[in-house]
Amino acid sequence: MSPELGNTAPVSWPRRAGAAALIVLCWLPVAYLALLSLARDWAFPALLPTALTLATWQRALAGNDGLITSFATSVGIALLVATLATTAAGVASRIFAYHRHRGWWVLAMHAPFALSPVILGTCLLYFFIRLGLVGSAAGVIAAQFIFGYAYAVIVLVGFWNPHVAALEDLARTLGAGKREVLRRVVFPLARPLLAVAFFQTFLLSWFDYGLAAVIGAGKVPVLTLRVTEYMGSGNVHLAAVCALLLVVPPLAFLLLNRRLAITAA
Amino acid sequence: MTPPAQPFLSVEALDKRFGAERVLDGVGFTLERESVLAILGRSGGGKTTLLKILAGLVPADSGRFLLDGRDLSTVPPERRQVVYLYQEPLLFPHLSVRENLVFGLRLRRLDEAAMRARIEPLVDRLGLADHLEKMPAQLSGGQRQRVAFGRALAIQPPLLLLDEPFGSLDATTRAEMQTLFREVARQVAITAIFVTHDVKEALIVGDRFGHLAGARLKLFADRAAFIGDPVSGAASEIAFWNSLASKTPSPPRA
Repeated sequence: MSPELGNTAPVSWPRRAGAAALIVLCWLPVAYLALLSLARDWAFPALLPTALTLATWQRALAGNDGLITSFATSVGIALLVATLATTAAGVASRIFAYHRHRGWWVLAMHAPFALSPVILGTCLLYFFIRLGLVGSAAGVIAAQFIFGYAYAVIVLVGFWNPHVAALEDLARTLGAGKREVLRRVVFPLARPLLAVAFFQTFLLSWFDYGLAAVIGAGKVPVLTLRVTEYMGSGNVHLAAVCALLLVVPPLAFLLLNRRLAITAA
Repeated sequence: MTPPAQPFLSVEALDKRFGAERVLDGVGFTLERESVLAILGRSGGGKTTLLKILAGLVPADSGRFLLDGRDLSTVPPERRQVVYLYQEPLLFPHLSVRENLVFGLRLRRLDEAAMRARIEPLVDRLGLADHLEKMPAQLSGGQRQRVAFGRALAIQPPLLLLDEPFGSLDATTRAEMQTLFREVARQVAITAIFVTHDVKEALIVGDRFGHLAGARLKLFADRAAFIGDPVSGAASEIAFWNSLASKTPSPPRA
Protein backbone atom coordinates (compact mmCIF):
# COMPACT_ATOMS: atom_id res chain seq x y z
CA MET A 1 0.00 0.00 0.00
CA SER A 2 1.31 3.44 -0.82
CA PRO A 3 2.23 5.74 2.06
CA GLU A 4 -0.55 8.12 1.03
CA LEU A 5 -3.18 5.40 1.09
CA GLY A 6 -1.87 3.95 4.29
CA ASN A 7 -1.82 7.29 6.11
CA THR A 8 -3.68 6.70 9.35
CA ALA A 9 -2.38 9.74 11.26
CA PRO A 10 -4.97 11.09 13.73
CA VAL A 11 -7.03 14.03 12.49
CA SER A 12 -6.21 17.24 14.36
CA TRP A 13 -8.93 18.77 16.57
CA PRO A 14 -9.29 21.99 14.53
CA ARG A 15 -10.05 19.87 11.46
CA ARG A 16 -12.56 17.82 13.44
CA ALA A 17 -14.17 20.99 14.78
CA GLY A 18 -14.29 22.46 11.26
CA ALA A 19 -15.91 19.31 9.88
CA ALA A 20 -18.44 19.28 12.72
CA ALA A 21 -19.26 22.96 12.14
CA LEU A 22 -19.78 22.26 8.45
CA ILE A 23 -22.14 19.38 9.20
CA VAL A 24 -24.09 21.52 11.68
CA LEU A 25 -24.30 24.38 9.15
CA CYS A 26 -25.65 22.01 6.48
CA TRP A 27 -28.21 20.35 8.71
CA LEU A 28 -29.27 23.35 10.85
CA PRO A 29 -31.79 24.72 8.31
CA VAL A 30 -33.29 21.24 7.91
CA ALA A 31 -33.54 20.82 11.68
CA TYR A 32 -35.10 24.27 11.98
CA LEU A 33 -37.68 23.47 9.30
CA ALA A 34 -38.49 20.15 10.99
CA LEU A 35 -39.03 21.95 14.30
CA LEU A 36 -41.14 24.62 12.63
CA SER A 37 -43.30 22.00 10.92
CA LEU A 38 -43.97 20.36 14.30
CA ALA A 39 -44.42 23.54 16.34
CA ARG A 40 -47.81 24.46 17.72
CA ASP A 41 -46.87 27.55 19.70
CA TRP A 42 -43.63 29.31 18.99
CA ALA A 43 -44.00 32.93 19.90
CA PHE A 44 -41.21 35.47 20.15
CA PRO A 45 -38.88 35.56 22.13
CA ALA A 46 -39.05 31.80 22.95
CA LEU A 47 -35.98 29.96 21.66
CA LEU A 48 -37.89 26.74 21.15
CA PRO A 49 -41.58 25.98 20.59
CA THR A 50 -43.60 25.52 23.74
CA ALA A 51 -45.63 22.64 22.24
CA LEU A 52 -45.21 20.18 19.40
CA THR A 53 -47.88 18.60 17.22
CA LEU A 54 -48.21 16.36 14.19
CA ALA A 55 -51.34 18.18 13.09
CA THR A 56 -49.63 20.11 10.27
CA TRP A 57 -48.10 16.92 8.85
CA GLN A 58 -51.43 15.08 9.17
CA ARG A 59 -53.15 17.92 7.36
CA ALA A 60 -50.49 17.96 4.61
CA LEU A 61 -50.51 14.18 4.15
CA ALA A 62 -54.32 14.07 4.08
CA GLY A 63 -53.97 15.75 0.70
CA ASN A 64 -56.64 18.40 1.27
CA ASP A 65 -54.17 21.21 0.63
CA GLY A 66 -52.89 19.65 -2.60
CA LEU A 67 -49.40 19.18 -1.18
CA ILE A 68 -49.19 15.54 -2.21
CA THR A 69 -50.30 16.48 -5.73
CA SER A 70 -47.66 19.21 -5.81
CA PHE A 71 -45.00 16.79 -4.60
CA ALA A 72 -45.94 14.25 -7.27
CA THR A 73 -46.06 16.98 -9.94
CA SER A 74 -42.62 18.26 -8.95
CA VAL A 75 -41.12 14.76 -8.88
CA GLY A 76 -42.67 13.89 -12.25
CA ILE A 77 -41.53 17.11 -13.94
CA ALA A 78 -38.00 16.95 -12.50
CA LEU A 79 -37.55 13.27 -13.45
CA LEU A 80 -38.80 13.93 -16.96
CA VAL A 81 -36.61 17.03 -17.42
CA ALA A 82 -33.55 15.19 -16.07
CA THR A 83 -34.16 12.15 -18.27
CA LEU A 84 -34.82 14.15 -21.43
CA ALA A 85 -31.98 16.63 -20.85
CA THR A 86 -29.38 13.97 -19.99
CA THR A 87 -30.35 11.77 -22.93
CA ALA A 88 -30.40 14.62 -25.44
CA ALA A 89 -27.18 16.10 -24.05
CA GLY A 90 -25.49 12.69 -24.20
CA VAL A 91 -26.07 12.59 -27.95
CA ALA A 92 -25.47 16.30 -28.60
CA SER A 93 -22.32 16.55 -26.49
CA ARG A 94 -20.66 13.90 -28.67
CA ILE A 95 -21.51 15.83 -31.83
CA PHE A 96 -20.30 19.14 -30.34
CA ALA A 97 -17.14 17.59 -28.85
CA TYR A 98 -15.90 16.26 -32.19
CA HIS A 99 -17.09 19.27 -34.20
CA ARG A 100 -14.42 21.58 -35.55
CA HIS A 101 -16.24 24.51 -33.87
CA ARG A 102 -16.42 22.74 -30.51
CA GLY A 103 -15.57 25.93 -28.60
CA TRP A 104 -18.43 27.88 -30.13
CA TRP A 105 -20.95 25.15 -29.38
CA VAL A 106 -19.87 24.95 -25.77
CA LEU A 107 -20.03 28.74 -25.49
CA ALA A 108 -23.55 28.67 -26.95
CA MET A 109 -24.56 26.20 -24.24
CA HIS A 110 -23.72 28.84 -21.63
CA ALA A 111 -26.24 31.29 -23.17
CA PRO A 112 -29.27 30.24 -21.06
CA PHE A 113 -27.27 30.95 -17.91
CA ALA A 114 -26.62 34.55 -18.96
CA LEU A 115 -30.24 35.30 -18.04
CA SER A 116 -32.15 34.50 -14.88
CA PRO A 117 -34.91 31.89 -15.30
CA VAL A 118 -37.61 34.55 -14.78
CA ILE A 119 -36.20 36.75 -17.58
CA LEU A 120 -35.72 33.76 -19.88
CA GLY A 121 -39.27 32.67 -19.07
CA THR A 122 -40.56 36.13 -19.96
CA CYS A 123 -38.61 36.02 -23.23
CA LEU A 124 -40.07 32.61 -24.04
CA LEU A 125 -43.60 33.52 -22.98
CA TYR A 126 -44.69 34.87 -26.39
CA PHE A 127 -43.55 31.75 -28.24
CA PHE A 128 -45.04 29.48 -25.62
CA ILE A 129 -48.39 31.32 -25.84
CA ARG A 130 -48.35 30.79 -29.62
CA LEU A 131 -47.57 27.12 -29.08
CA GLY A 132 -50.32 26.75 -26.50
CA LEU A 133 -47.85 25.64 -23.83
CA VAL A 134 -48.44 28.34 -21.21
CA GLY A 135 -50.18 27.08 -18.09
CA SER A 136 -49.32 23.44 -18.80
CA ALA A 137 -46.85 20.96 -17.32
CA ALA A 138 -45.55 20.38 -20.87
CA GLY A 139 -44.69 24.10 -21.10
CA VAL A 140 -42.82 24.06 -17.78
CA ILE A 141 -40.96 20.91 -18.83
CA ALA A 142 -40.03 22.45 -22.21
CA ALA A 143 -38.75 25.64 -20.57
CA GLN A 144 -36.78 23.82 -17.88
CA PHE A 145 -35.40 21.47 -20.51
CA ILE A 146 -33.59 24.43 -22.12
CA PHE A 147 -31.63 24.99 -18.90
CA GLY A 148 -31.18 21.31 -18.12
CA TYR A 149 -30.05 20.39 -21.63
CA ALA A 150 -27.50 23.22 -21.79
CA TYR A 151 -26.16 22.33 -18.35
CA ALA A 152 -25.93 18.60 -19.16
CA VAL A 153 -24.07 19.33 -22.42
CA ILE A 154 -21.52 21.42 -20.48
CA VAL A 155 -21.05 18.53 -18.02
CA LEU A 156 -20.83 15.78 -20.66
CA VAL A 157 -18.84 17.47 -23.42
CA GLY A 158 -15.60 16.89 -21.48
CA PHE A 159 -16.15 13.14 -21.55
CA TRP A 160 -15.55 12.88 -25.29
CA ASN A 161 -11.90 12.96 -26.26
CA PRO A 162 -9.48 11.19 -28.63
CA HIS A 163 -8.91 8.41 -26.08
CA VAL A 164 -12.62 7.56 -25.93
CA ALA A 165 -12.82 7.79 -29.74
CA ALA A 166 -9.91 5.35 -30.01
CA LEU A 167 -11.63 2.95 -27.59
CA GLU A 168 -14.79 3.14 -29.71
CA ASP A 169 -12.79 2.42 -32.88
CA LEU A 170 -10.97 -0.42 -31.16
CA ALA A 171 -14.25 -2.00 -30.05
CA ARG A 172 -15.54 -1.79 -33.62
CA THR A 173 -12.49 -3.55 -35.08
CA LEU A 174 -13.01 -6.27 -32.44
CA GLY A 175 -16.50 -6.79 -33.82
CA ALA A 176 -18.78 -4.43 -31.88
CA GLY A 177 -21.59 -2.75 -33.81
CA LYS A 178 -22.55 0.82 -32.91
CA ARG A 179 -25.10 -0.34 -30.35
CA GLU A 180 -22.61 -2.73 -28.73
CA VAL A 181 -20.01 0.03 -28.58
CA LEU A 182 -22.53 2.17 -26.74
CA ARG A 183 -23.55 -0.62 -24.36
CA ARG A 184 -20.16 -2.18 -23.63
CA VAL A 185 -17.78 0.77 -23.85
CA VAL A 186 -19.31 4.24 -23.90
CA PHE A 187 -22.07 3.81 -21.33
CA PRO A 188 -19.93 2.11 -18.64
CA LEU A 189 -17.24 4.75 -19.04
CA ALA A 190 -19.68 7.67 -19.06
CA ARG A 191 -21.90 6.38 -16.25
CA PRO A 192 -20.42 8.53 -13.44
CA LEU A 193 -20.73 11.72 -15.50
CA LEU A 194 -24.21 10.76 -16.71
CA ALA A 195 -25.24 10.33 -13.07
CA VAL A 196 -23.89 13.78 -12.24
CA ALA A 197 -25.67 15.32 -15.25
CA PHE A 198 -28.93 13.58 -14.32
CA PHE A 199 -28.69 14.63 -10.68
CA GLN A 200 -27.84 18.24 -11.47
CA THR A 201 -30.55 18.65 -14.10
CA PHE A 202 -33.01 17.09 -11.67
CA LEU A 203 -32.04 19.74 -9.13
CA LEU A 204 -32.29 22.55 -11.70
CA SER A 205 -35.87 21.54 -12.38
CA TRP A 206 -36.71 20.65 -8.78
CA PHE A 207 -35.70 24.00 -7.32
CA ASP A 208 -36.91 26.11 -10.25
CA TYR A 209 -39.32 28.85 -9.34
CA GLY A 210 -39.09 31.46 -12.13
CA LEU A 211 -39.97 29.31 -15.13
CA ALA A 212 -42.67 27.44 -13.23
CA ALA A 213 -44.20 30.77 -12.18
CA VAL A 214 -44.04 32.47 -15.59
CA ILE A 215 -44.66 29.59 -18.01
CA GLY A 216 -46.83 27.62 -15.59
CA ALA A 217 -48.92 30.76 -15.02
CA GLY A 218 -50.00 29.45 -11.60
CA LYS A 219 -51.66 26.38 -13.13
CA VAL A 220 -48.77 23.96 -12.55
CA PRO A 221 -48.63 23.56 -8.76
CA VAL A 222 -44.98 22.65 -8.19
CA LEU A 223 -43.60 22.65 -4.63
CA THR A 224 -41.49 25.80 -4.98
CA LEU A 225 -44.65 27.78 -5.80
CA ARG A 226 -46.45 26.19 -2.84
CA VAL A 227 -43.77 27.31 -0.40
CA THR A 228 -44.08 30.96 -1.44
CA GLU A 229 -47.86 30.64 -1.50
CA TYR A 230 -47.95 29.42 2.11
CA MET A 231 -45.39 31.98 3.19
CA GLY A 232 -47.46 34.72 1.57
CA SER A 233 -50.59 33.58 3.37
CA GLY A 234 -48.74 33.47 6.71
CA ASN A 235 -48.99 29.68 7.15
CA VAL A 236 -45.36 29.16 8.16
CA HIS A 237 -45.95 25.66 9.56
CA LEU A 238 -47.35 24.34 6.27
CA ALA A 239 -44.60 26.22 4.42
CA ALA A 240 -42.07 24.36 6.59
CA VAL A 241 -43.65 21.00 5.73
CA CYS A 242 -43.55 21.97 2.07
CA ALA A 243 -39.91 23.09 2.32
CA LEU A 244 -38.98 19.79 3.99
CA LEU A 245 -40.66 17.87 1.19
CA LEU A 246 -38.56 20.00 -1.15
CA VAL A 247 -35.37 18.80 0.54
CA VAL A 248 -36.18 15.07 0.64
CA PRO A 249 -35.60 13.96 -3.01
CA PRO A 250 -32.32 15.86 -3.47
CA LEU A 251 -31.02 14.36 -0.21
CA ALA A 252 -32.05 10.88 -1.31
CA PHE A 253 -30.38 11.42 -4.69
CA LEU A 254 -27.29 12.80 -3.03
CA LEU A 255 -26.93 9.74 -0.81
CA LEU A 256 -27.61 7.38 -3.71
CA ASN A 257 -25.19 9.09 -6.05
CA ARG A 258 -22.48 10.01 -3.58
CA ARG A 259 -20.11 7.31 -4.77
CA LEU A 260 -20.74 8.07 -8.45
CA ALA A 261 -20.34 11.81 -7.92
CA ILE A 262 -17.04 11.30 -6.10
CA THR A 263 -15.80 8.98 -8.89
CA ALA A 264 -16.70 11.52 -11.55
CA ALA A 265 -15.04 14.34 -9.64
CA MET B 1 -2.61 -24.56 -67.17
CA THR B 2 -3.75 -23.53 -63.66
CA PRO B 3 -4.30 -19.82 -63.01
CA PRO B 4 -1.85 -18.14 -60.61
CA ALA B 5 -2.87 -18.38 -56.95
CA GLN B 6 -4.85 -15.38 -55.75
CA PRO B 7 -3.00 -13.40 -53.04
CA PHE B 8 -4.57 -13.55 -49.58
CA LEU B 9 -4.50 -9.77 -49.20
CA SER B 10 -4.68 -7.39 -52.10
CA VAL B 11 -4.62 -3.61 -51.82
CA GLU B 12 -5.21 -1.75 -55.05
CA ALA B 13 -4.47 1.92 -55.81
CA LEU B 14 -5.47 3.45 -52.48
CA ASP B 15 -5.68 7.24 -52.53
CA LYS B 16 -6.28 9.48 -49.56
CA ARG B 17 -6.16 13.23 -49.10
CA PHE B 18 -6.72 15.34 -46.01
CA GLY B 19 -7.61 18.74 -47.47
CA ALA B 20 -4.82 19.74 -49.81
CA GLU B 21 -2.40 17.18 -48.39
CA ARG B 22 -2.08 13.89 -50.25
CA VAL B 23 -1.37 11.17 -47.70
CA LEU B 24 -1.61 8.06 -49.88
CA ASP B 25 -1.03 8.07 -53.61
CA GLY B 26 -1.93 4.90 -55.47
CA VAL B 27 -0.76 2.60 -52.71
CA GLY B 28 -1.03 -1.04 -53.72
CA PHE B 29 0.48 -4.34 -52.63
CA THR B 30 -0.32 -7.98 -52.09
CA LEU B 31 0.48 -10.24 -49.16
CA GLU B 32 0.48 -13.99 -48.80
CA ARG B 33 -1.29 -15.78 -45.97
CA GLU B 34 0.68 -16.17 -42.71
CA SER B 35 3.28 -13.56 -43.54
CA VAL B 36 4.09 -10.25 -41.91
CA LEU B 37 4.61 -7.14 -44.00
CA ALA B 38 6.76 -4.61 -42.16
CA ILE B 39 6.24 -1.08 -43.45
CA LEU B 40 8.90 1.41 -42.52
CA GLY B 41 8.25 5.13 -42.62
CA ARG B 42 8.65 8.37 -40.76
CA SER B 43 6.04 9.63 -38.31
CA GLY B 44 3.28 11.47 -40.16
CA GLY B 45 4.09 9.62 -43.38
CA GLY B 46 0.64 8.07 -43.83
CA LYS B 47 1.30 4.69 -42.16
CA THR B 48 -1.50 5.08 -39.62
CA THR B 49 -3.90 6.29 -42.31
CA LEU B 50 -3.14 3.23 -44.42
CA LEU B 51 -3.88 0.89 -41.50
CA LYS B 52 -7.03 2.77 -40.52
CA ILE B 53 -8.32 2.52 -44.08
CA LEU B 54 -7.69 -1.23 -44.05
CA ALA B 55 -9.44 -1.49 -40.67
CA GLY B 56 -12.43 0.46 -42.02
CA LEU B 57 -11.98 3.33 -39.56
CA VAL B 58 -11.11 5.92 -42.23
CA PRO B 59 -12.63 5.88 -45.73
CA ALA B 60 -10.29 5.89 -48.72
CA ASP B 61 -10.89 8.42 -51.49
CA SER B 62 -10.45 5.65 -54.04
CA GLY B 63 -8.97 2.17 -54.34
CA ARG B 64 -9.90 -1.32 -53.25
CA PHE B 65 -8.99 -3.73 -50.46
CA LEU B 66 -9.57 -7.45 -50.94
CA LEU B 67 -9.07 -10.08 -48.26
CA ASP B 68 -9.21 -13.69 -49.32
CA GLY B 69 -10.87 -12.60 -52.54
CA ARG B 70 -13.62 -10.59 -50.81
CA ASP B 71 -13.83 -6.84 -51.40
CA LEU B 72 -13.93 -5.21 -47.98
CA SER B 73 -13.68 -1.61 -49.20
CA THR B 74 -17.20 -0.68 -48.09
CA VAL B 75 -17.66 -3.22 -45.30
CA PRO B 76 -18.01 -1.61 -41.82
CA PRO B 77 -15.13 -2.29 -39.39
CA GLU B 78 -17.11 -4.62 -37.12
CA ARG B 79 -17.75 -6.99 -40.04
CA ARG B 80 -14.20 -7.01 -41.46
CA GLN B 81 -12.57 -9.19 -38.76
CA VAL B 82 -9.49 -7.01 -39.20
CA VAL B 83 -8.09 -5.97 -35.83
CA TYR B 84 -6.14 -2.77 -35.42
CA LEU B 85 -3.57 -2.61 -32.62
CA TYR B 86 -2.82 0.92 -31.46
CA GLN B 87 0.49 2.56 -30.72
CA GLU B 88 -0.63 3.07 -27.14
CA PRO B 89 -1.57 -0.16 -25.35
CA LEU B 90 -5.26 0.60 -25.41
CA LEU B 91 -7.30 -1.45 -22.95
CA PHE B 92 -10.88 -0.94 -21.83
CA PRO B 93 -10.25 0.69 -18.44
CA HIS B 94 -13.50 -0.53 -16.86
CA LEU B 95 -12.78 -4.20 -17.61
CA SER B 96 -10.34 -6.61 -15.96
CA VAL B 97 -7.54 -8.22 -17.94
CA ARG B 98 -9.68 -11.36 -18.35
CA GLU B 99 -12.66 -9.36 -19.61
CA ASN B 100 -10.42 -7.40 -21.99
CA LEU B 101 -9.11 -10.67 -23.41
CA VAL B 102 -12.58 -12.09 -24.02
CA PHE B 103 -14.11 -8.82 -25.25
CA GLY B 104 -14.23 -9.89 -28.90
CA LEU B 105 -15.34 -13.40 -27.96
CA ARG B 106 -18.29 -12.10 -25.93
CA LEU B 107 -19.38 -10.13 -28.99
CA ARG B 108 -19.31 -13.41 -30.91
CA ARG B 109 -21.48 -14.97 -28.19
CA LEU B 110 -19.10 -17.82 -27.32
CA ASP B 111 -19.99 -19.70 -24.15
CA GLU B 112 -17.73 -19.48 -21.10
CA ALA B 113 -16.02 -22.84 -21.73
CA ALA B 114 -15.25 -21.94 -25.35
CA MET B 115 -13.88 -18.56 -24.29
CA ARG B 116 -11.68 -20.16 -21.66
CA ALA B 117 -10.39 -22.68 -24.16
CA ARG B 118 -9.58 -19.89 -26.59
CA ILE B 119 -7.72 -17.60 -24.20
CA GLU B 120 -5.89 -20.11 -21.98
CA PRO B 121 -3.11 -20.92 -24.49
CA LEU B 122 -2.69 -17.21 -25.21
CA VAL B 123 -2.53 -16.36 -21.52
CA ASP B 124 0.30 -18.86 -21.11
CA ARG B 125 2.18 -17.70 -24.20
CA LEU B 126 1.90 -14.05 -23.21
CA GLY B 127 2.72 -14.61 -19.54
CA LEU B 128 -0.52 -13.14 -18.24
CA ALA B 129 -1.64 -15.94 -15.91
CA ASP B 130 -0.94 -13.93 -12.76
CA HIS B 131 -2.68 -10.79 -13.99
CA LEU B 132 -6.09 -11.98 -15.17
CA GLU B 133 -8.08 -10.37 -12.36
CA LYS B 134 -6.15 -7.09 -12.39
CA MET B 135 -7.49 -3.88 -13.84
CA PRO B 136 -5.56 -2.16 -16.67
CA ALA B 137 -4.37 0.63 -14.37
CA GLN B 138 -2.49 -1.98 -12.32
CA LEU B 139 -0.39 -3.17 -15.28
CA SER B 140 2.90 -1.95 -16.72
CA GLY B 141 3.11 -0.70 -20.31
CA GLY B 142 4.53 -4.00 -21.54
CA GLN B 143 1.85 -6.02 -19.75
CA ARG B 144 -0.86 -3.78 -21.20
CA GLN B 145 0.47 -4.30 -24.71
CA ARG B 146 0.56 -8.08 -24.13
CA VAL B 147 -3.12 -7.96 -23.13
CA ALA B 148 -3.97 -5.86 -26.20
CA PHE B 149 -2.08 -8.33 -28.37
CA GLY B 150 -3.80 -11.32 -26.73
CA ARG B 151 -7.22 -9.70 -27.08
CA ALA B 152 -6.58 -9.23 -30.80
CA LEU B 153 -5.32 -12.80 -31.27
CA ALA B 154 -8.22 -14.29 -29.28
CA ILE B 155 -10.67 -13.63 -32.09
CA GLN B 156 -8.29 -15.25 -34.59
CA PRO B 157 -8.45 -12.38 -37.08
CA PRO B 158 -7.51 -13.15 -40.67
CA LEU B 159 -5.50 -9.92 -40.69
CA LEU B 160 -3.84 -8.06 -37.84
CA LEU B 161 -2.79 -4.44 -38.22
CA LEU B 162 -0.12 -3.18 -35.85
CA ASP B 163 0.53 0.54 -35.66
CA GLU B 164 3.93 0.94 -33.99
CA PRO B 165 2.56 -1.12 -31.10
CA PHE B 166 5.77 -1.09 -29.09
CA GLY B 167 6.64 2.55 -29.71
CA SER B 168 5.72 3.70 -26.22
CA LEU B 169 7.69 0.98 -24.39
CA ASP B 170 11.17 1.25 -22.93
CA ALA B 171 14.03 -0.29 -24.91
CA THR B 172 14.24 -3.56 -22.94
CA THR B 173 10.50 -4.23 -22.90
CA ARG B 174 10.33 -3.26 -26.55
CA ALA B 175 12.98 -5.82 -27.49
CA GLU B 176 11.14 -8.49 -25.46
CA MET B 177 7.85 -7.65 -27.16
CA GLN B 178 9.41 -7.76 -30.63
CA THR B 179 10.74 -11.25 -29.97
CA LEU B 180 7.45 -12.33 -28.40
CA PHE B 181 5.51 -11.01 -31.38
CA ARG B 182 7.76 -12.89 -33.78
CA GLU B 183 7.37 -16.14 -31.82
CA VAL B 184 3.61 -15.88 -31.41
CA ALA B 185 3.14 -14.80 -35.04
CA ARG B 186 4.88 -18.01 -36.12
CA GLN B 187 3.03 -20.18 -33.60
CA VAL B 188 -0.46 -18.99 -34.46
CA ALA B 189 0.37 -18.32 -38.13
CA ILE B 190 -1.03 -14.82 -38.36
CA THR B 191 -1.11 -12.53 -41.36
CA ALA B 192 -0.16 -9.02 -40.31
CA ILE B 193 0.90 -5.59 -41.42
CA PHE B 194 3.31 -4.04 -38.94
CA VAL B 195 4.20 -0.37 -39.37
CA THR B 196 7.18 1.14 -37.62
CA HIS B 197 9.73 3.90 -37.96
CA ASP B 198 12.45 1.65 -36.49
CA VAL B 199 14.43 -0.27 -39.12
CA LYS B 200 15.66 -2.84 -36.59
CA GLU B 201 12.11 -3.56 -35.47
CA ALA B 202 11.03 -3.93 -39.11
CA LEU B 203 13.80 -6.48 -39.68
CA ILE B 204 12.91 -8.46 -36.55
CA VAL B 205 9.16 -8.73 -37.15
CA GLY B 206 8.85 -8.73 -40.95
CA ASP B 207 8.85 -11.42 -43.64
CA ARG B 208 8.28 -8.84 -46.34
CA PHE B 209 9.26 -5.21 -46.35
CA GLY B 210 7.97 -1.91 -47.61
CA HIS B 211 8.83 1.77 -47.24
CA LEU B 212 6.17 4.48 -47.17
CA ALA B 213 7.31 7.99 -48.02
CA GLY B 214 5.90 10.87 -50.03
CA ALA B 215 2.49 9.14 -49.96
CA ARG B 216 3.86 6.24 -52.03
CA LEU B 217 4.70 2.72 -50.92
CA LYS B 218 7.83 1.02 -52.20
CA LEU B 219 7.92 -2.74 -51.79
CA PHE B 220 11.12 -4.78 -51.66
CA ALA B 221 11.63 -8.16 -53.27
CA ASP B 222 13.27 -9.63 -50.17
CA ARG B 223 15.15 -8.84 -46.97
CA ALA B 224 18.44 -8.28 -48.79
CA ALA B 225 16.85 -5.77 -51.16
CA PHE B 226 15.38 -3.92 -48.16
CA ILE B 227 18.71 -3.80 -46.34
CA GLY B 228 20.55 -2.80 -49.50
CA ASP B 229 18.24 0.07 -50.45
CA PRO B 230 19.41 3.42 -48.98
CA VAL B 231 15.80 4.51 -48.28
CA SER B 232 15.42 1.83 -45.59
CA GLY B 233 18.42 3.22 -43.71
CA ALA B 234 19.40 -0.35 -42.78
CA ALA B 235 22.77 -0.24 -44.54
CA SER B 236 23.78 3.04 -42.89
CA GLU B 237 22.71 1.70 -39.49
CA ILE B 238 24.76 -1.47 -39.97
CA ALA B 239 27.71 0.66 -41.09
CA PHE B 240 27.33 2.83 -37.98
CA TRP B 241 27.41 -0.14 -35.60
CA ASN B 242 30.30 -1.75 -37.49
CA SER B 243 32.36 1.44 -37.31
CA LEU B 244 31.54 1.76 -33.63
CA ALA B 245 32.57 -1.85 -33.02
CA SER B 246 35.85 -1.37 -34.88
CA LYS B 247 36.69 1.73 -32.79
CA THR B 248 35.76 0.13 -29.47
CA PRO B 249 38.58 -1.89 -27.90
CA SER B 250 37.66 -5.48 -27.11
CA PRO B 251 37.32 -6.28 -23.41
CA PRO B 252 40.34 -8.08 -21.97
CA ARG B 253 39.97 -11.85 -21.88
CA ALA B 254 39.99 -13.51 -18.50
